[in-house]
Amino acid sequence: MIDFLQMIISGIAVGSSYALMALGMVLIYKASEVPNFVQGEMALLPVFIAYMIIHSYGQSVFAAFFGALAFAMLLGCLLEFIVVRRAKNPNILGLIIITIGLEMVLLGFVSWKFGADQRVMPFPISSYSSVMFGGVYISILDLLTLVAALVIMTGLFFFFRFSKLGVAMKATQQNETAARLMGIRTNRVKMITWGISATVGTVAGLLLAPVFMEPYMMWDPMLKGFAAAVIGGMTSLPGAVFGAYIVGIVEHLFGGYVSMEYKAVVAFAVIVLVLCVKPSGLFARHYVKKV
Amino acid sequence: MDMKRSYYEDIRLFPSCVTVFWAVVLLAFLLAYPFLFKNYYVYMANYIAINIIVVVGLNLLVGYTGQISLGHAGFYAIGAYATITLMSLAGFPFLAALICAGLIAAAFGFLLGLPALRLEGPYLAIATLGFGVTITTIIGRIEMLGGRQGLHAPDLVIMGYPLDTDRQFYYLVMIITVLLVLFARNVTKTKVGRAFIAIRDAHIAAETMGVNLVLYKTMAFALSAFYAGVAGGLYAFVLRFIEPGLFSLFLSVFFLTMAVAGGLGSVMGPIAGAIVLSFLDLQLRNILSIPYVGDWLRHLSASYFSLTGVSNIQFIVFGAILIAIMLFEPLGLYGLWIRTKKYWKTWPF
Amino acid sequence: MKNTLLGLLLCAALVTGFAGAANAEVGVTDTEIHIGQWSPQTGPAAPWGAVARGTDAYFKWINANGGIHGRKLIHHYFDDAYNPAKTIAGVKQLQEQTGMFAWASGVGTACGLAVKDYLMENRIPWVGPSSGSRHWVDPPQKYLFNVYPLYLGDAQLLTEYAITEMGKKKIAVVYQEDDYGKQGLEGARYMLKKHDMELAEAVPVAITDTDMRPHAMRLRQAEADTVLLFVTPGHVARVLGTAKAMKYEPQWMSTTTCGDFPLMIAITKGLYEGVITASFGMMDPTGNVGEVENINNPKHELMAKYKKEVFEQFAAEDERWGYTFTAGIGFVEPLVEAIRRAGRDLTREKVVAELEKMENFQGIMGRINYGPFDPQDPHCRIGQQEIFLQQCTADGASKILTEWETTKFIPKSE
Repeated sequence: MIDFLQMIISGIAVGSSYALMALGMVLIYKASEVPNFVQGEMALLPVFIAYMIIHSYGQSVFAAFFGALAFAMLLGCLLEFIVVRRAKNPNILGLIIITIGLEMVLLGFVSWKFGADQRVMPFPISSYSSVMFGGVYISILDLLTLVAALVIMTGLFFFFRFSKLGVAMKATQQNETAARLMGIRTNRVKMITWGISATVGTVAGLLLAPVFMEPYMMWDPMLKGFAAAVIGGMTSLPGAVFGAYIVGIVEHLFGGYVSMEYKAVVAFAVIVLVLCVKPSGLFARHYVKKV
Repeated sequence: MDMKRSYYEDIRLFPSCVTVFWAVVLLAFLLAYPFLFKNYYVYMANYIAINIIVVVGLNLLVGYTGQISLGHAGFYAIGAYATITLMSLAGFPFLAALICAGLIAAAFGFLLGLPALRLEGPYLAIATLGFGVTITTIIGRIEMLGGRQGLHAPDLVIMGYPLDTDRQFYYLVMIITVLLVLFARNVTKTKVGRAFIAIRDAHIAAETMGVNLVLYKTMAFALSAFYAGVAGGLYAFVLRFIEPGLFSLFLSVFFLTMAVAGGLGSVMGPIAGAIVLSFLDLQLRNILSIPYVGDWLRHLSASYFSLTGVSNIQFIVFGAILIAIMLFEPLGLYGLWIRTKKYWKTWPF
Repeated sequence: MKNTLLGLLLCAALVTGFAGAANAEVGVTDTEIHIGQWSPQTGPAAPWGAVARGTDAYFKWINANGGIHGRKLIHHYFDDAYNPAKTIAGVKQLQEQTGMFAWASGVGTACGLAVKDYLMENRIPWVGPSSGSRHWVDPPQKYLFNVYPLYLGDAQLLTEYAITEMGKKKIAVVYQEDDYGKQGLEGARYMLKKHDMELAEAVPVAITDTDMRPHAMRLRQAEADTVLLFVTPGHVARVLGTAKAMKYEPQWMSTTTCGDFPLMIAITKGLYEGVITASFGMMDPTGNVGEVENINNPKHELMAKYKKEVFEQFAAEDERWGYTFTAGIGFVEPLVEAIRRAGRDLTREKVVAELEKMENFQGIMGRINYGPFDPQDPHCRIGQQEIFLQQCTADGASKILTEWETTKFIPKSE
């Protein structure tokens, strides 16, 4: 029983970092209708910038993290402004290829600048200390990730409901032409959405980096986040978080009870099953295209 | 781009004498190729031709039927493993094994096509992606298939004639490639191909017109998987050694990239995409040996970046090329070609 | 029959061809010897790219000191991103366009296997593949000389030490799902069987997996008191951290791959203290058992010299003086020595003959022995079978635990 609970808790812990990636993914899908393959690298570059701020300029960890988040905002906006917006009559495949191209450029840039050396980010809290609830361990870093995911989700929820910019974003997502007619600068709104998405992803990256850092560290969380977003319906923020927890828990239960070999891919099998029943994910209404 | 006046004009293999001429030139070039170039370039031609087969097949699915697949490395792996296993365990001759491997891959394609009936966009992307990574994990677990330690390809003998050099293998690969490309081109002009296009453009309208969605969607998946399977079988003999790690998600992404950057919905587009991107993929590692450019890059790295990571410039160049192609021409390389052709046709007006 | 005839004709053609140009061996001119190498400079395996850069600096140092018998070593290394298709492309291109005299090292089992047949059929010497796979020597190849001690050996020695010296009872293995991990698992099983023990748990790790929580939990459930890690440094860091957070701290053991203590102590934020790994050199345990050494130890004269003359002068500014870099030197030392011994009149056959005569050659790694080619006996090509064990201290130095120990080769069938 303890083991079972431990698996659930660990699943939620890893699910939290997937959730952050999934949230970023959903934001961009809502704005630009593209599965964003550059999501991981939009977080990777700021994380390495934070590392550089600490090591080359000797700043404190907090200053570095703040700098990384600000840089992520800027990076997201720039990617949208310089590249994605310039695509002429984009279709979904063309946009996917563009994000893959961006992914390669950013990944190449990070590996070029920092080399392939393995490293680890300094962090005020030890990444190895943990708290125990009745025989179940959870590391403080995991707890922090969990809190961050929930806070960001709630924050985004209120942002979309009550702030002017959030409402404008929702309007742009629902009907771009109408939104523009109402005086919303939809391009600018999209740009900011990309910025927010990169920032959310960077939070995940900064919380993964204290354990291990290398240029490929964000690829697996990005894929799992994508999977989680799809389970949640690709357009629903709570759905994405919920999907991420499902992915995390299923992985851990499967790894613990069935087979460790297939642990890394079981999430995808679950997705296919979920999609067979609900083709648009759990939390999205299924739109049937009109002729 | 000329106006077609009758159906038969549209389905003709060679629309004009000029194309016949160019086709003959191309065939002659392909025949003479191994004698004109060093062995290394023959290996490269084999590698590119195999990518052409996959991408032309993928284009039937993505470009003509409008489905998306990020799992083609899975079919590729199935083809490679099936070919080797059928030959070494069941004693099949190579060509029979290759065709069977293609059919096995097609069967898997059919199975993947079933859930795909209800999915589209990112949902289909993630489902096919899951298929691709799961297949390689499963293969890695089967000890009979060599597990993660990989398998060696048996000796290749066709009708008593051994093919053990790149040059000998070249003709086999080229014959298969040309046949499969012609087949794909012809399929798009038949009822099946028209049905694919109808599904891509408006699947509900197509269904009301009497196109059987279940049949044609699964058929597109199976056909596309068949191409990938055959290519995988050939790939196993180009490398002569396969292991599950070869068939990663990156490979699936690479296939899709070649198809889209080449230009979807045409036959020449994917071929151009496969040639250009595979060539870059193989040759970009030499970027530092280019005179002046290489020195400049090294100098730049020493001042602002790291010298140990200088090879990663490849990624930046490759990514930038992808972005540039897609930004300037959504139809990819084929679109560029059409535009250039149109421009010169009416020049100087 | 037909094939034999063809073969004879081919041989005749070759012989006459060689007779025509006695001294014109491929890749050798009056002033140059061309040597090729592949390694991943990009992609997830890029940390191993330092092997080729180590070799490169070493060759440059040799050239700066006058080369070998008046010839300079021209090193051609290329990036294959750990993708066998690219390895083949690069090897064929260099071999056929420039012409390589021999191939040195080369990272990756899959990459090496993809070009093995090509190199062997063309009778091109290939020394020191940089992975400890059994594929290199079983069956042995005439032109392929192994240097890296096999992973099987690491596992044997670690298991033996845990059982006999430390009195451990429950041994578990965490293994990567490839050649490296599987052979480690096999070596551990082999040794446990000798002691009539069972493996407590074997936990596979997918190479792309970054979440090690279930793995750590499996180990804790099995209550293993010793865990052998046959995974990459990144996974080691993750497994150790996760287990520590679960308050599970067995005796960790790992292989030469994770034997770079300064690096490991840095990426595990100090958790690596007390971990025991195998080592194939860079330090000299002879007479020093129990002492603390490190990779900068001036007592190991050859290493001190390489650091001062090779690394500080010829390595890139941002290069790290670590195990991967130094291994790049160690893997090619036998080749360089054989070329030196072969003399001014250099041919491939002479180099192979000199390598076969090599007995107890020692550079910065263990003693290296080859023998006359015998298709039945892998020992004629294994090279180094000696390893020793070291333990990590709090500041990343090594406490030497054993003398050089010779490990046993386990053939595929056993």
